[in-house]
Amino acid sequence: MKRTPSVNEVNEFLEIASDFEDPLELLRESLSNAFDAGAESVDIRIRTRPNGSDIVIEDDGHGMDEEDLKSFFDLGNSNKTDSIGYKGHGTKIFYKSDHIKVNTSKDGTTFSAEMEQPWEKLNNRILPEYDITKTDAPSSRSGTLIRISGFKSGEGFSPESLTYPKVHNYLKWKTIVGSTAHFFEDDFHEMEVTVELDDEIDDSREQLITTNKFEFPSEQLLPGDGPFPAERMCKLYGPKEISLDHAEGTSTVEIVGMAGGKAARNELPTFGRHSTQFGVWLAKDHIKVERLNEAISHDNEFIHFLFVANCQDIELSANRGKIRNKSSSVYQALEEELSHFLSKVTHDPWFEGYLDARRQGELARKASSESDKASDRVNRIQSREQYVPSNDAEILFGLQRPSAQNNAPDVVVEDYHPTDDITAIVRNDGTLQAAAVSSTLLEYFEDEAPLEPADLLICWEWGDTDELREIQRTGYLGNKINIDFEQHKITYETHDGKSGFCDVIIVSDYLETSTVKEAGAASTTPTG
Amino acid sequence: MATDHRLQQAAEFSIEDTAGDARAGELTINGVSMETPSLFPVINFYGGGRSGSVFGGSTHRTVKELINGDERVAGVDCSHIFKGALMSVGSLTDYGINRDLLQTYLSSPIKRRAEFHGFEGILFADSGGYKNLTQGALDGSDFELEMNQARVFEMQQQLGGELIVNLDIPIEPDDSFEERCRKARLTAENVDEFLELSKDYPAARYLTVHGYNYSMIDTFMDELQDVLGGIDISATFDGIALGSLVPKKDDRELLINSVQGCREVMAERGFDDLPLHVLGISNTAIPLLAAVGADTFDSSSYIQAAINGKYYKSLLNTVRVDDADFRDCSCPVCSSPELRSRMNGDAKYRKDQMGPAAVHNLYVQMTELNEIRERIQMHGTDGLIDYIENTIGRNDSTRKHAHRVVNESLGGYF
Repeated sequence: MKRTPSVNEVNEFLEIASDFEDPLELLRESLSNAFDAGAESVDIRIRTRPNGSDIVIEDDGHGMDEEDLKSFFDLGNSNKTDSIGYKGHGTKIFYKSDHIKVNTSKDGTTFSAEMEQPWEKLNNRILPEYDITKTDAPSSRSGTLIRISGFKSGEGFSPESLTYPKVHNYLKWKTIVGSTAHFFEDDFHEMEVTVELDDEIDDSREQLITTNKFEFPSEQLLPGDGPFPAERMCKLYGPKEISLDHAEGTSTVEIVGMAGGKAARNELPTFGRHSTQFGVWLAKDHIKVERLNEAISHDNEFIHFLFVANCQDIELSANRGKIRNKSSSVYQALEEELSHFLSKVTHDPWFEGYLDARRQGELARKASSESDKASDRVNRIQSREQYVPSNDAEILFGLQRPSAQNNAPDVVVEDYHPTDDITAIVRNDGTLQAAAVSSTLLEYFEDEAPLEPADLLICWEWGDTDELREIQRTGYLGNKINIDFEQHKITYETHDGKSGFCDVIIVSDYLETSTVKEAGAASTTPTG
Repeated sequence: MATDHRLQQAAEFSIEDTAGDARAGELTINGVSMETPSLFPVINFYGGGRSGSVFGGSTHRTVKELINGDERVAGVDCSHIFKGALMSVGSLTDYGINRDLLQTYLSSPIKRRAEFHGFEGILFADSGGYKNLTQGALDGSDFELEMNQARVFEMQQQLGGELIVNLDIPIEPDDSFEERCRKARLTAENVDEFLELSKDYPAARYLTVHGYNYSMIDTFMDELQDVLGGIDISATFDGIALGSLVPKKDDRELLINSVQGCREVMAERGFDDLPLHVLGISNTAIPLLAAVGADTFDSSSYIQAAINGKYYKSLLNTVRVDDADFRDCSCPVCSSPELRSRMNGDAKYRKDQMGPAAVHNLYVQMTELNEIRERIQMHGTDGLIDYIENTIGRNDSTRKHAHRVVNESLGGYF
């Protein structure tokens, strides 16, 4: 016995409509339909309402007949073959609303269709129906008007999230409005698009008017002046048509793009982070679908590039969000060819010059910053009354300043390891000693640095004498310790009960003008 | 100090077409011509054997039999593939031959021997300076001879070399600046002697040059001219042989730097009209280096590959000889049922299997060189760019080098 598999129609409608997550996808589908209908002009108006958004899409295309209208509401039953919307999925995003009304005129006839509560019915597992009426119309009239009421846009079309720049960016990056076909086609079908947002959504301008052409910034091949010489540099590549031979036949990829700096890229209708918009886009019907940034070798940052590679033989998921034939030979060939093409771009002497200009700018900025810092340091030194070290190395330099030479111990720094506890090996009166360096002796103790490896502690100052005496009274790391401020010597008990000692040099004692010192007057006869 | 100015040079090099920095020309030495870019296959004409074994050399022996079209190789004549050949004096030290056998070998020029009757190409007699690099010295102890410039030249002469180079002291990758200068001066001293020794010998004389980039080669030339007293290179030599590159043969970036640098030095010093030979480099480097202006190459890779069981499908692709489909190739070897059978393993000795494969490999290299030459001869650079694009440009490991030479030497893509 043979059986025919059945389809749960309601679930299918629900599933396909739900796949459209971003409410802006409604714009993409509407624009694709208008383009497929040969429209030269499309107007879109979006109003925000308490129960969703009201959207009106009006085009001057060739309109729909009864069959077309049926396909409009049907699922997977498109009349179109060689067009963007051949799957019959796109318009199902309209079902996420309270009401759909379509008025369309073609060849002297106007059809009006209305569907009530499609989304509510689908969610109640009822397949929504639509009413259709037919009236005569002047034969000169053609076009389609679609009114979607209560569209379930979530927060997508709310005043908080929707702005003209965001719409503009979406149109150019995700819809036929960002088409690169004009670079390749002599008889390019141009379409003007007007989008009007409710003032409540964005009142920054009256409307957005654009066409379905993606335009790159103008070329600027030479670096500019100023601290960012490469920021406006820009070079255009292509348009280039390349034939791809693969196991399933031959395909064509149409590549066009640019490389350039941030200022050049900002001349495009970008929105938000460049990292989500730039790189290498794969496109079908000249509508960008997915990026293949791996085509740019890892030693280059994809953000410098915007390339669109259109191939009609890639296959898309129902919501056009993803390429689904990635394991096919055509996709493999496409990947390989794009890698090859882009490796030529990244090795283009112009691009290498652009990167050089960036580096030179960076070096110049760094040099300028270093000059400023050096200048600040000079000013600080000129304005200070005495030598004050700001790090351990400067403490050692202090010991070796000419003004300290007359009465300071005969200490010569032989090596310096800033990250070790024993920072320096010094020659003290001819004997090599392990020296730890600290701004104050107190700080050395506060850091719980070890005493045993050190023959000598070289400090700028003693630090708070009372704190040091308190340490002497309570012990250091659990062991006894004695600090002889007069003799500049520390004796201590080691962890295994033995006794140890080390000498202390207070560097500020030996400079002509010293800061306020703790622990009494500077000794002129320190032990060394 | 050299004062050589020969009245008539033995070689003529004419550049007939250029594509960017690449040049296609004709090298004629003593009436024998070779179209360039081209390759001198390395052949050990003397490999320890006697006359009856075409003087031996295992796989080299089979190669020589194929040049002759001997009965031992089913009469398959491959002589037309060998427009030239390079034999190094240094190779004579490889086979443990004694002084008597050496005297036998050197008793008659190669091209006058009946044993090598099939070879009519240009004989490049290399000095063997590379042995200074690999073994520290050119060791003539087996035949109780001290190998020096005079001895090497004498051997080059006895072999009947038509293209000869001075005995050189190659540089090594880790050499310091001072060490490179010292070697340059030692080479220059040999050059001085070489010029004097060879002034009446009717061969093309090539000057060996060493360096991995423009600056090293420029310094080498300064040292050389310092010793030689500022001679006219163009009037004294018939060509330039760029050496020391074998230890860096896989570093294509360096190979390109070296050839580009050498061409720049040649142009600046006014001897860019001389042919540029790149010693010891072949295979995938050939298109890259030809594109930046190398004219001739030499290599034993065709024979080494065969000895390792490799059969060339192209410059880039090899398969195991055992897995090869010989029907894809129209070379004389693959066209012979008997030699196909031997390459398939039906051979008494390994040399009988690998010798034909070696000559096939050389045929593939020569065919690619023909293609490169034809592309240079086309109008503009598009032909050569297209060739590079569709060969080494399609290989991940060589792609960036292909882009570099297209951009720097052929006018770029965009």
